[in-house]
Amino acid sequence: MSPAVHTMSDARERRGFLPFPVAHGFVTVLFSTVALIGACLVFAPSSLSSGALAGSLPFAAVIAIVGLGQLLVVQQGGFDLAVAGGVSLAVVISTHFPDGDNAKLLPAVLIAASCALAAGLLNGILVGFIQLNAIIATIGVNALLYGAVFGVSGGVPRITTPLLAEIAGGDTFGVPHSVYFAIAALLVVSFVLKKTVVGRRFEAIGANPLAARAVGLHVRFHQMMAYVYAQLLCCLAGVLLAGITREPTAFQGDSLLLPSVAVVVLGSTSLLGGRGFPFSTVLAAFFLNQLSQFALAVGVPYSAQTIIQALALGFGIGVYSVRWTRNTKRRANV
Amino acid sequence: MNHSLKNGLTLAAMTAIAAFGCSAPSALAADAPSWCGPKKATIALLDGFGGNSWRQVTTAAGKQEAEKCANITKYEYADGQGNTQKAISDIKGFAAKGVDALVVFGDAGPAVLPALTSAFKAGKVVVPYRVVVGGKDGQNYTKYVGASFKDDGASWGEWIKSLLPNGGNLLFLSGPAGNSQGLDELAGLKTVLDDKYKFLNPAPFDVTNWDPALTQQVLTAEISKNPKIDVIVSDFGPSLVGALPEFKKFNRSVPALATSDGNSLGCFWTDNNKDNPDFKLFTVATGTDNVRLAVQWAVAEATGGKAPSEQVFKAPTFEDSVSGKPSNVQCRKDLPGAIYLSSGVSADDQAKAVSK
Repeated sequence: MSPAVHTMSDARERRGFLPFPVAHGFVTVLFSTVALIGACLVFAPSSLSSGALAGSLPFAAVIAIVGLGQLLVVQQGGFDLAVAGGVSLAVVISTHFPDGDNAKLLPAVLIAASCALAAGLLNGILVGFIQLNAIIATIGVNALLYGAVFGVSGGVPRITTPLLAEIAGGDTFGVPHSVYFAIAALLVVSFVLKKTVVGRRFEAIGANPLAARAVGLHVRFHQMMAYVYAQLLCCLAGVLLAGITREPTAFQGDSLLLPSVAVVVLGSTSLLGGRGFPFSTVLAAFFLNQLSQFALAVGVPYSAQTIIQALALGFGIGVYSVRWTRNTKRRANV
Repeated sequence: MNHSLKNGLTLAAMTAIAAFGCSAPSALAADAPSWCGPKKATIALLDGFGGNSWRQVTTAAGKQEAEKCANITKYEYADGQGNTQKAISDIKGFAAKGVDALVVFGDAGPAVLPALTSAFKAGKVVVPYRVVVGGKDGQNYTKYVGASFKDDGASWGEWIKSLLPNGGNLLFLSGPAGNSQGLDELAGLKTVLDDKYKFLNPAPFDVTNWDPALTQQVLTAEISKNPKIDVIVSDFGPSLVGALPEFKKFNRSVPALATSDGNSLGCFWTDNNKDNPDFKLFTVATGTDNVRLAVQWAVAEATGGKAPSEQVFKAPTFEDSVSGKPSNVQCRKDLPGAIYLSSGVSADDQAKAVSK
């Protein structure tokens, strides 16, 4: 049932006023973002000042990178709930191990990347090869990762090294460095996904694993690799976060789990797997971040801030879900 | 030979005990505090959540305080790991194990009250502290040892008044939405500050969850929205350290700051006050010694000592960059940022405790 829908979704592209095909979801998220910017200009112009953007864009970049990781897993019909643990572990390794010494930063980042690789492989083997439920397997791995977080840090934050603060928290031509990292991650993910053989196979497997297996693709291997890519992207996000936040806590990844799924859904990728929309996902990360800046800048009470965000999210998910259900029924009737 | 040695030792010991017995009142009075009574007892510190440096320093302070009383034969510790279920089973488990006194940091609030009550009914000395758990002294537990956050607020208010006698714009940041600490501090601030002082944040305070990343985002929004912020009030100074550089992005000086102390904050002030003419700093002690009063109560009740006169911990003021009283801003660059120089635990011992 689902495979038919998602290969069909390729047909849902608009050729309207643009000379190249644009995914339906991208148009929706672009429209929402433009509307939000309009609302910001009218009600909270301060949230678009250069200082405010310089302060908030790094966090949007982090959400975007984590979202790209989650996107790859969702494309294979899975979920990576070990995002929180993965990010937190990268944060504590890249702050605790160097302990203020710039010379130890590179080894620390390499250790963090190796841990991410190991965690991704573990997730991938459990889900791809042993065929465990993705939610259960990744929750378990998340707990393991938090064990490692406590092992490394004892739960205590440590001040980030000056070099990392400069690399991740600095800016060039007025644009925060983390934004460049997010753009680089986006370009790599998009290019590999859309323009390489591996990427095309990866999407095909997500759309229909059975058909992919029938034509001789290594379904389990690609499913496993999705978790590896996700954890590596989480590691990148964690290292950046450690540089953006001067004294990050040991639990910095906790608040990223929900946004990571939210941006994938807002970016119109189906939770059942298949085609992925990296550009929409990154734009959705900007949208989500700007939405919270908007709520803060308007100065509404905290309760209203959370309600505004939840409504926007519900609206975004609702739009896609409603269309999707109708499509399924129509196609099922055919 | 052995036998006579044994006899000799026994005799010596008996003499010592006799001498101790006679001269004890004077000798002990000098050493042992009044809350340390004659009965022997065991004590346990049950933490609802032990995973940060503040808690580790607090745990070290509690242990130090218990060690002052020689009649405490055993001091144990359990970490609830932020898990209410575990915190409850820790309380029940230690009561069942026969520990005489329980000092409990009831992070989960009223959720731990039934476990505290059953331990109290089973004859244990139960002293919850710092977090309100509901219930009553002598009915659900032995004694609740609170912290006076209202006094902290009042101390900040007095300092702000001395700095800006004609009023000004304030920004108040606290932890999770509706946390009682933040509300009490605000009440304290309002006892001192009148309408001339305008709170820029949405009532009652800007929610930061004491998370440095969220604090950074919240502060960015507030700075861009408010062209004039005179004072920032925050009840967890160290979580601001990452956020304060945001002012530089707007080409503005860091404003005056009334908060609680932390080594990383002190060092941040030391490094940045010259470039930021408005950056004045006032801190109250962050309260890692609150546990000492709770331990004193527990030991007094368990060993039959004299109960302390205080029931509420009042955090003393610590640093003031304007008057230098009671202390100038302190910074120990050689030690971790996550220690608290206001604590009764020495800085080096804290460094050991947090880098375990």
